[in-house]
Amino acid sequence: MNRLQKRAWIELAGVTFCCILAGAFFGRLVHLNAKGLVYIMISLIVGPSAGLIYYISYMKIWAKFDEREKKIARKAYRLASYAFTLFVLYAALIVFFTVGGKGAVPVYYLPTLFFAAGFVAQFVQSAAILIQFALEQADEQ
Amino acid sequence: MSSNQVTNQIRRLRFENGEMTQQQLADAAGVTRQTIIAIEAGKYAPSLTLAFKIAQVFAVPLEDVFQYGQGSGQATAP
Repeated sequence: MNRLQKRAWIELAGVTFCCILAGAFFGRLVHLNAKGLVYIMISLIVGPSAGLIYYISYMKIWAKFDEREKKIARKAYRLASYAFTLFVLYAALIVFFTVGGKGAVPVYYLPTLFFAAGFVAQFVQSAAILIQFALEQADEQ
Repeated sequence: MSSNQVTNQIRRLRFENGEMTQQQLADAAGVTRQTIIAIEAGKYAPSLTLAFKIAQVFAVPLEDVFQYGQGSGQATAP
């Protein structure tokens, strides 16, 4: 197993863990009916910080990949972007056509939709990397 | 159709250079062993930089390692 495959497994596990954590956290916030400037400030700090940590860690390992691994990673990222877009599109459209244009959905649907789309995108990205390597290994045998 | 593809002589050159292993070539070229396997099998066309690096490892001109549009090559890459 090379660096990119290991990274794909780690990201898959990490994102699954974070989604479970975020789901539990949001569930609690929904239960408390949390609202106000404090929560907005917390989300403005936590969100970009998590994104920055992820970006820095990815850039560190990106430099170690060779050109073929980078090509595989870019293809997986492209597929993940399509998956994210399609998921958000259909999550929005399905609700629109289910509830109707003048209906209403709970507000927690919006962050839930976003986190679910993020999980789907990360799942597709990791799976695409692992499948590409698995197909190559199958060809070698 | 193979006349429009890149062929390579890496396997032959490895054996002519003291039976160099794929791992040794990978280390010398700064890539993974899987990348060398993919190039050798013609499943991956390397960048110009990597192609030059591989030629440099064997101390031969680039065209001795990679050929374009010749059907007699060892392996073809799309």
